[in-house]
Amino acid sequence: MLDIIVSIVPMLLMSVAFVHLMVIETPVPQVVEKAIAAANEKNKDQVQILLRVSKTDGFLYTVTDKSGSRDIKVPNKGTDLDLDGLQKETLALKKSYPDVFRLELNPEESVPLDKIVQVMDKIRTTGSNDVKVTFTDVETGKPIETNLVFPDVVFGNVNGG
Amino acid sequence: MARRGFKKYMDKRSPSTFKIQITSMVDMFVILLVFLLKSYSTSPVIITPSRDMTLPASSSMKDPVEALKLMVSKTGVFVEDKKIIDLKDGVVDNKDVDPSDTQFIRSLYTELDTQASKTRTIASKNDTVEFDGKVLMQADRELNYETLRKVMYTAMMAGYSDVKIAVLSKE
Repeated sequence: MLDIIVSIVPMLLMSVAFVHLMVIETPVPQVVEKAIAAANEKNKDQVQILLRVSKTDGFLYTVTDKSGSRDIKVPNKGTDLDLDGLQKETLALKKSYPDVFRLELNPEESVPLDKIVQVMDKIRTTGSNDVKVTFTDVETGKPIETNLVFPDVVFGNVNGG
Repeated sequence: MARRGFKKYMDKRSPSTFKIQITSMVDMFVILLVFLLKSYSTSPVIITPSRDMTLPASSSMKDPVEALKLMVSKTGVFVEDKKIIDLKDGVVDNKDVDPSDTQFIRSLYTELDTQASKTRTIASKNDTVEFDGKVLMQADRELNYETLRKVMYTAMMAGYSDVKIAVLSKE
């Protein structure tokens, strides 16, 4: 047994990762992925959700659909961004537009990366496995429950704007 | 004389077998094994974060993919560990940006374009390789979006439009 352990330990030491690195992407199951592709195509010119992030003014959702455009503000809590308030508004917005998965994120230039990542965490998922959002599967027409809210986050103002 | 003394000493000793006490060593190995198994990484992509940089933490559970490595620290912008430009407290100097387009970092574009051309050349001769425009960006958590935007914009201009942000796992 000692021989086995002595052989395994160097092998594990070679592949050990003391820091677990991940990437921010769209961790979507296949049904959700199909729904995103279909929804993006369907809602291309219909629904557009923009989120502006400002260190001083907080969050501002701008939702543009067939009926027009409306703003939803999430002011700062004290001097810091209200991330819990943002998640609450995001879930409410998702209930209104269950088939929309893309969100355009427009942070101000002074917002640090750490805050941007925290905002992305709040809008990409419900933050809990107990809280689910429902959308309709494009192939079967059945309701699907997922904890992904707006997994397709794009930086809208990279190319100017 | 000394040899006779040693023989006498050996004869006097009670007959016994020399045994190594390995119980504590086995205990230590088992603890080490459990620790290593917990931190075992199955990811095929190895990323070594720079010492002068702290990555942001996220709840994302997506493993890194093989892509061009772009690193933005407070002191500079690196492409595959090669320093391209210097940053002063995480801000791009005006001399490094294009006068007609303040988002465009010319020297970074040149390097990324070279990397893209290399990959495209390899892809034209090897079917298993393709240029997919993926770039893995490791950036310091305190860097402002102003700097990141310039880097992402320049990467996009060079054909790297699929930017993946490296983060530390919260788990």
